[in-house]
Amino acid sequence: MISDMLRFAPLALEGLDDLLTTEPAFTLMRNRLHTYPQINMGVTDNSVEVYLFVPGMDAESLDVSLEKNLLSVSAERKDGVTNDDDTMSRRERFSGRFKRVITLPEDVDPDKTEAVYRHGVLHISVAKREEALPRKIQVNV
Amino acid sequence: MTEKTDTAVSKVETQAPATQATAAEEAGKQVRVMRPAADIHETKEGATILIDLPGVSHDTLDIDVDKNVLTVKGDITLDTPDNLTPTYMDVHAGGYHRQFTLSAELDSSQIDAQLKDGVLKLAIPRSEKHKPRKIEVKAA
Repeated sequence: MISDMLRFAPLALEGLDDLLTTEPAFTLMRNRLHTYPQINMGVTDNSVEVYLFVPGMDAESLDVSLEKNLLSVSAERKDGVTNDDDTMSRRERFSGRFKRVITLPEDVDPDKTEAVYRHGVLHISVAKREEALPRKIQVNV
Repeated sequence: MTEKTDTAVSKVETQAPATQATAAEEAGKQVRVMRPAADIHETKEGATILIDLPGVSHDTLDIDVDKNVLTVKGDITLDTPDNLTPTYMDVHAGGYHRQFTLSAELDSSQIDAQLKDGVLKLAIPRSEKHKPRKIEVKAA
């Protein structure tokens, strides 16, 4: 039956070219097996800023801790499956438990940490210790 | 410049100059885009696509359907302090870009889109005539 055959045709798929990408295999693998979550970090004169790309989480389920200068973030990400009758024709999004431990510069002050979860990005801002802040030195004549 | 590994589009576009227009780019700024991870679920009612777009807000998200091609674009906006010097970066791109080809069985005029915590959920119903239906067998 035609309808039987159609049943196996995925409803939504990407262009064939997606399969025929000209990229070297290793870059593809690097992408697929990318560390989760992805992180961006930066420093300013008085703080260290960490951004973790963790979409689709409850802010309460994110476990963030800072011990000395070791920042760890762990949580479990559910895959958001609607029900068992569904057929998954593509599954790329990460699901399961994850943990990332990040070594921050040693001059951070764990007591001055702020974490905000917004648009799927966890932004952690840790202040540097007072004595580590750059200060201007007066030159006496 | 678009990162080569992130090109998730048709051959025509891969061969075109390796940049894709995002909202910011149209404003005259070049933005690198990457290919977001997506799950596709199929149900009796239609298809549901979940796409990870961390850092994208309603204001920077752009979804459009041209014939049977669904395009999702979004710019990442992070709340960064002034004078931030990057020390480590997994994410170099400024946004996301991905296209999907929809089957004719789907009704692309009825797409329901919800963006929550950086995950875009697109629910695309099957068009009426493609919905499975039960056929009554009459007693002879």
